[in-house]
Amino acid sequence: MTDSTTASAPKPSSSVKLVLLGEAAVGKSSLVLRFVNNDFQPNKEPTIGAAFLTQKCQLPSRTIKFEIWDTAGQERFASLAPMYYRNAQSALVVYDITKPSSLVKAKHWVAELQRQASPGIVIALVGNKLDLCDDDSPEDDAQDGENVDGHEEEAVRKVSTAEAKAYADEESLLFYETSAKTGHNVSEVFTAIANAIPETSLKGPRGGAGGGTQAAISGGGGQDSSRVNLNARGDAGAKEGCAC
Amino acid sequence: MFLSNLVQKAQQYIDPAVLPGALSNANATKPSKSTLFQQQFHLPATQNPLYEITAELTLPTRKSGLSKSPSAKRQQQWGPNDWDKGADGKGTHYVGQLHLSEQFMCFSTVNTSFVSTASTSASSAFTGRTHGTGTAGNGFTLPLCAVRRVERLHTQSYMFALSITTWNGFDPGSDTKPGAPAPPKLTIQLEGSRQQCERFCDGLKRGLRQGIREVENMRAVAADCYSEYFMYSDFDATPPSTKPDGTPRTPPDTGLGSLFKYPGNSRKLRDRSKMRLWHEYMRENGRNTTLVRQPDFHRLIRVGLPNLLRGEMWELTSGSLYLRLQKPKLYAETLKKHEGEGSLAIDEIEKDLNRSLPEYAGFQSEEGIGRLRRVLTAYSWINAEVGYCQAMNIVVAALLIYLSENQAFYLLSILCDRLLPGYYSTTMYGTLLDQKVFESLVEKTMPVLWEHLSGNDVQLSVVSLPWFLSLYINSMPLIFAFRVLDVFFLEGPKVLFQVGLAILRVNGEELLDATDDGAFISVLKSYFARLGESAHPKSENPKHRAITNFQALMVVAFKEFDGITQQTISEQRSRHKAAVLENIESFAKRTSIRNLGPESKKLSTNDLGFLYDRFYTILYERQQRAQVLQAEEDRKRKASRLRATEIVTGVAGNSAPEMGRVGLGPSTTEMDYDAFREFLAGVAKWAVTDSPSSPTNPNDPSAHRGQNGYFHTLRARPSHPSSPWGRGPEPAEHEFLRRLFKRWDKEGKNSLTLQDVVAGLAPIKGGRDIMGNISYFFELYDDDNDGRVDREGILRISEALLFLSRRGVGGGGFVSPSPTSTGLSEHEDGKRRETKDEQFLSAVSAFIRRCFEYADPDHPSRQAEKEANSAAQQVDLMDLNEKDGPVTSDPLSGSSPSGSDAKDDSVLSRPSTNSFGQTQPQSKHAAANAALDPASPVHITLPTFRMLVLADETLESFFDSGFANSFHLADAPLPSSTITSPTFLSAAQQQHATAPPASIPALSPGGTSSGVVGGAGAGVVPPGKGLRGMLDNIVTDGMRVAAEVRRRMDEAQKELDKGASTRGIEDDDDDDGDEGGRDLLEGAEADAGVERKGESARSREQSLLDQPMVEEPRQERGKAKQEEVDAEMEKSTMFER
Repeated sequence: MTDSTTASAPKPSSSVKLVLLGEAAVGKSSLVLRFVNNDFQPNKEPTIGAAFLTQKCQLPSRTIKFEIWDTAGQERFASLAPMYYRNAQSALVVYDITKPSSLVKAKHWVAELQRQASPGIVIALVGNKLDLCDDDSPEDDAQDGENVDGHEEEAVRKVSTAEAKAYADEESLLFYETSAKTGHNVSEVFTAIANAIPETSLKGPRGGAGGGTQAAISGGGGQDSSRVNLNARGDAGAKEGCAC
Repeated sequence: MFLSNLVQKAQQYIDPAVLPGALSNANATKPSKSTLFQQQFHLPATQNPLYEITAELTLPTRKSGLSKSPSAKRQQQWGPNDWDKGADGKGTHYVGQLHLSEQFMCFSTVNTSFVSTASTSASSAFTGRTHGTGTAGNGFTLPLCAVRRVERLHTQSYMFALSITTWNGFDPGSDTKPGAPAPPKLTIQLEGSRQQCERFCDGLKRGLRQGIREVENMRAVAADCYSEYFMYSDFDATPPSTKPDGTPRTPPDTGLGSLFKYPGNSRKLRDRSKMRLWHEYMRENGRNTTLVRQPDFHRLIRVGLPNLLRGEMWELTSGSLYLRLQKPKLYAETLKKHEGEGSLAIDEIEKDLNRSLPEYAGFQSEEGIGRLRRVLTAYSWINAEVGYCQAMNIVVAALLIYLSENQAFYLLSILCDRLLPGYYSTTMYGTLLDQKVFESLVEKTMPVLWEHLSGNDVQLSVVSLPWFLSLYINSMPLIFAFRVLDVFFLEGPKVLFQVGLAILRVNGEELLDATDDGAFISVLKSYFARLGESAHPKSENPKHRAITNFQALMVVAFKEFDGITQQTISEQRSRHKAAVLENIESFAKRTSIRNLGPESKKLSTNDLGFLYDRFYTILYERQQRAQVLQAEEDRKRKASRLRATEIVTGVAGNSAPEMGRVGLGPSTTEMDYDAFREFLAGVAKWAVTDSPSSPTNPNDPSAHRGQNGYFHTLRARPSHPSSPWGRGPEPAEHEFLRRLFKRWDKEGKNSLTLQDVVAGLAPIKGGRDIMGNISYFFELYDDDNDGRVDREGILRISEALLFLSRRGVGGGGFVSPSPTSTGLSEHEDGKRRETKDEQFLSAVSAFIRRCFEYADPDHPSRQAEKEANSAAQQVDLMDLNEKDGPVTSDPLSGSSPSGSDAKDDSVLSRPSTNSFGQTQPQSKHAAANAALDPASPVHITLPTFRMLVLADETLESFFDSGFANSFHLADAPLPSSTITSPTFLSAAQQQHATAPPASIPALSPGGTSSGVVGGAGAGVVPPGKGLRGMLDNIVTDGMRVAAEVRRRMDEAQKELDKGASTRGIEDDDDDDGDEGGRDLLEGAEADAGVERKGESARSREQSLLDQPMVEEPRQERGKAKQEEVDAEMEKSTMFER
């Protein structure tokens, strides 16, 4: 819809709203921290409501600025989720490969997104904590007990790649297994999402701050139409029952 | 529909003036006076306003006024207090209202009235602007145990004046003995008629007598207060390390801060001068339980509490001190009681312990973590509905810096139950609601900013939500967040809004430049980081330069937004509540329906939605009723005592009647057996009882008048909300229900989740699978899962079939309420139903008979022989058909109500009558009769059962669709609420009348046999009453028929023995397949009812043999049979009367 990327000159940049969803303590915040700061904290403060971070992702043809909403995983925070996934163009639904229940929860999120979020949202299914599995990185297994849910003693894979992959294929999701701890596959996920976002759905870079010349040049018409676009979506969102 | 109903219902309980916290009366349409009273004075939920009187409080003149102190200079800044009359020669006077509750005497300059005649505005006057004093204004909140002596003063005038000496359990010091100074003597002049004054004093006297018991508690509570230690000596003197008796004096626990240092630089925070001011204030005005609130009290709080007194003042201003006073041991006891237990909440708490204020040294230590763990755990036990919510860890961690764990526990209760209602609930509706409220306040007060935000699609709540949820603790630097908390505990939740609005106002310009979430967030982030910096760094005036951003923020919050009152918040909350709850509920519903498992796919989304609504409505309503009943009980119990002095247990007494609503966090998600019955009663007609126990309205003559009466009773019922079944129909009790419940309760936990219900219903409702339904039914009765149902089971099955059909059966193709709406009065309809019922009745009776014919003996040898049945049914059938010639009389033929108790499902569990045994030996047809012999156990297998069902058109159609259709879900909605509606009923009747049952043309006429009902109509019973009357009985009491089934077994046997092999004659009128003519026939049948039903077992067998042979001459045989039946009929009728 928005035609903001047609401008010539430097690589066009666009911002993409991404929301992270998944059961508590599957490593959502850690994935973001790895992606944004290339860091890992064993004791990550629980997310209250949601945390907001941004990170750029360079693609050959353009730059994607991810506006990441990292949501709280505790079950009761689920009713806040519509507030965060509203207008999201992409979502990372995370589960813990050592915890089958988290895949079930992930499936629910996928269903919720497919039904309630913006149409055309790009969803990636991510199985995190790959480092806890012998089969993938044998030298880095679960000697650290820092995993927040403390399953270290039985920290073996409980969700097979094939099973999750099959599900992802069925629902046309991107699928990755990652480790926020080792960084394995983390940036790949985001890059894949960036690539999967249809150009047509990209908004221009929002926000005067830091947008630079690019915003000035390509923003003009693009931003206007993106605004219209957003408003329309906003209405739909309100109707569909975001609680806020 | 469910939601809007629920919303309406909830609205009844929610008044515009709803305040945080509990509504004490479930029926209240507005907060009760008691609630308001508790809220104004932050009292526990056990307190009710008993007496009140206008009074003037006189305090002794200050010896060393605070007027010279810096804080007094700020008086201008915070605004003069309206009620402060200033000092005159004799002392300081305050005019206000004196209130007396069971355990407290409260004086407030805020003129509220809680007498029953007071208007709402008079009772909620404290929710308006408070001018920095908090809801309780100037005055005092004295636990009666803190009143040591009351003297009536001799006054010159006619005035009625009291002098009140207070203490907190510790004798005051004097010149000779060290100790904290005595609290001030309070002089109170009552202003009212002599009688009023006397009454008040009488009440006070009684209260004081009771109060004596609390003194020990109070002493313990006061000993935990730092003020008690602090005031022991002069401020500048070095506190003595021992008491006069030599016991060491140790300061009470003032939180982790005393071990790990309080946040902030105490010098910069001017902690010592604050302490001095507090010392002065408390010397004059008492401390902890005896403290009197004067304007300086509120000012001292506004400038920020000193570290060591902060916890105590939080306790005092929030009222958690009073909670602790009531149950000083609750914390320790709770921990002890649940020691070693685990819970989901505890697992969640464990995950977060290491991640709560991790930057504070105290929470890097086992000591701090341990306290945090214990407080959160204890709270999760006393309020299991809330359990643990992320963000509580942060709030409690913050509290623990200033409070002992014991104190923090009570303060957490006050927070969750009163100050932040619903914030941490399982749906967090309070959080979402207050975000909506906040947004609408922003829209109101800062329209330009609001426009900008919505124009740029920036969602405010994503930013502000953590502010509210964690009380600014992880948004602002700690020292400032604590300043906000100081005021928050004093003034209540509105402070969160005022501060939030001020933050946006102060940053207005920069925010107007931000066009996306990211920029918006970063503006605020950087502002919070600069809170300690000067607000006017470039100002010439050093005084201006000294003003920090935070101070400026407070001024904006409390000056500019002082119009944001509790009243405002309450109004906004009630305005948005419905929408918020609806959103949550639709979200919860969506989520829940998706979570129902693979079985649920068999049902339509509509049906699932219906089940979901129905399920939770039942749970919700049951809970409501339980609460109403409980409240009633409490009231009665209270009334039976002279005075309610007993402290009702439970910390916050949170009796919010709204609980149970999904959006508010359902307190239960499981349905017990009774709830299940109620659930079914709203979904299936057969699950409604025939004999409602309606003691609730013994005067209602219609209550026992059969069917009509039944519905009358229902209509009358809503006036009796105390009925255990509420407004809905009273559910039946039947063995079948128990079996169904057991079957659905897969995990055997004696309760059903929604998922269980869906999984239980799915195989029945989902897809027309006759074979599936037959097996389902069979398995219900196959107790030991061995693939066999024994004699007892066969009888039970038959009984269940009758039970299910006693309000009519949804025959083949019925989609709508089937003939169930019957018995309602309409004659036409009655007839139609009768015919259906007759059919079914005979079908069942035939079924029983044949069950025994075809039953396999438990003998292995015979079994092998019989196994052939299933293999080669046709052959076998033919074979048996010959044998069964002599079996003429239908077991049910004489069945009429036998007077056994309808509700007693044990009828059939009686040991089989020995008549079987007696008759058996004489039987010529040993093969068949062996089956009837209790001495030779028999069983049927699923294939047999299936065959028997399929052999009978009525049963076949029942299993094909009737059973499934008897559950009315969304696609044929029949919610309980409308069952009682007369219009609905008549509509249903019409529908029925115009929609004759479709049937399966290819099959032979209904598998009815004998003439049970027909017999009745043949004239033995007077026609008027005859058929009709009997059917009434049957429908009213299907169980009796079932009982009769058993009884008739004997007679059948006897007849067999007699060899009276009169064949039943079939009645070919009864042609279900003949849909077109059916209506006409029905009319005829009504009169000729007699003839219609007779149909012998044999005819059915034959029709089975050659299914297409629909037209079998049955008329004559029917007549022959009829006579016989008539005789039977007469007998049993006589028996009955």
